[in-house]
Amino acid sequence: MRRRLAALLLGAAAAAHTQAPDAQAQRLDFSPTEVRAILSHGPWPAPWAGDPTNRGSGNAQAIALGELLFFDPRLSPSRKVLCATCHVPYRAWQDARARAVGLVEVDRNTPSLLDVRYQRWFGWDGAGDSLWAQSVRPISDAREMGGSRAEAAALVRGDAELACRYEKAFGAPPPASDEAVLAGIGKALAAFLETLVSGRSPFDEFRDALAANDVAAMKKYPEAAQRGLRIFIGRGNCNACHFGPNFTNGEFHDTGVPFFIKGGVDEGRYGGIGKLERNPLNLLGAYNDDRSGASAVKTRQVALEHRNFGEFKVPTLRNVALTAPYMHNGSLATLADVVRHYSEVSPDRLHSDGIPLVKALHLSAAESADLVAFLETLSESASALAPRRPYARCR
Amino acid sequence: MEERRDAVRRLRGAVAGALAGCMPLAGGALACELPPGVRLESERVAVSFRTTPEKIAVGRPFTLDLAACPKRGVLVLERVRLDAHMPEHRHGMNYRTRVVPLGDGRFHSEGWLFHMPGRWEFVFELGSERLTHSVRIE
Repeated sequence: MRRRLAALLLGAAAAAHTQAPDAQAQRLDFSPTEVRAILSHGPWPAPWAGDPTNRGSGNAQAIALGELLFFDPRLSPSRKVLCATCHVPYRAWQDARARAVGLVEVDRNTPSLLDVRYQRWFGWDGAGDSLWAQSVRPISDAREMGGSRAEAAALVRGDAELACRYEKAFGAPPPASDEAVLAGIGKALAAFLETLVSGRSPFDEFRDALAANDVAAMKKYPEAAQRGLRIFIGRGNCNACHFGPNFTNGEFHDTGVPFFIKGGVDEGRYGGIGKLERNPLNLLGAYNDDRSGASAVKTRQVALEHRNFGEFKVPTLRNVALTAPYMHNGSLATLADVVRHYSEVSPDRLHSDGIPLVKALHLSAAESADLVAFLETLSESASALAPRRPYARCR
Repeated sequence: MEERRDAVRRLRGAVAGALAGCMPLAGGALACELPPGVRLESERVAVSFRTTPEKIAVGRPFTLDLAACPKRGVLVLERVRLDAHMPEHRHGMNYRTRVVPLGDGRFHSEGWLFHMPGRWEFVFELGSERLTHSVRIE
């Protein structure tokens, strides 16, 4: 009896194995329009030419300095908070919390740093117009690292290793101006963060197989994910904002997520533009290394509109399954919750004058599961990052 | 930013001064030759424009060069405004364009970025003339 049961179980296991989604998936009959839309989300990694505003961009010495600073708790006078406190390498460079906790809890969710180099604006409100300006913002935020530009500059000037690396990265010792040293710290941090590019995902393999008409490779992509992809680029209209290889248009939208915070409201993009204008490290200032002026056009021409109130940046969806919880305030715990939000979002909350960009999708349970299945295929199959190695002392 | 606003005010003044009454009528024929580009006409003015890069991509900045030529009458360009919006969604760009007059009815503008796919409508206001042109961005 036991043998027969074991044989039955083995047979069932074998049958289940042969019916695994990867082995059996059929390619949906995507229309030419759908194929174009799918191909627009690649190739990956996307081309990238360096940041002209940062003379440390792509510079190995600046990258090394930035990596040391990223993991240096001395940037916070408390010695208790470092960049990696919230941007945890083994958590896809975020912290898995609803809202970040530096010295105290703040109002927003920690975004992943993977693929941050492809962004135009930085932070949920886009208060940073460069990765380097954004990278030093938490240092002087009383709730995050609680430091100051003077303390950060003194650290780099006074530490032989950091001062040596600063000189190697930028060709001169840390200058007398605290603000200038802070800009250098930001540029080194940014040079390091630019190296954090995610690996290829199952979606990327499917996308490239579709481009090459490689039917055998396409069949490895689960049918549920294909059905979810069809919703994403079709009825869901998700790709209107989650556009291109990095699945974001880089701009800001109100998606109906409440923006009330303790004691007030989170102004989102509206407040972000104000902070941008007041920041001496913005691209209109003296520390922009791009002398052509082209990189500062966005900062000079950005429009402050009333509708910016409650708008937050469209996040990348790459590695989205690895970066829960979701939305600017971390209020949605799972991808299923996010899909439910878009399935049921109230039009009254969105105040749209024209055809609303975000409207309730009214997805069935099966459709919701398919959309989640698709989103789960946007995470890297394996990290593309080189393992960290200790640096030799700077001489 | 105050410096930026001053610059915009100065630019507006310069545009008005440079263009007021400077485009004479030519009895039905254009008083000047328009460069190659997308050509639009209103009752009193013809324009051509081109973008750089020529193909507009979602989320990518571009610049726009425009040339204007009167069809009849004297065209007083007190102000030049170049903009775009999405009519269906009733929202514009997230940026205001900066228009630099180059003389002879030619303008260079920057700060263009279409942040979503769909139908966008260029809106060119040259003095009292208003010209529009729709494009679909995929």
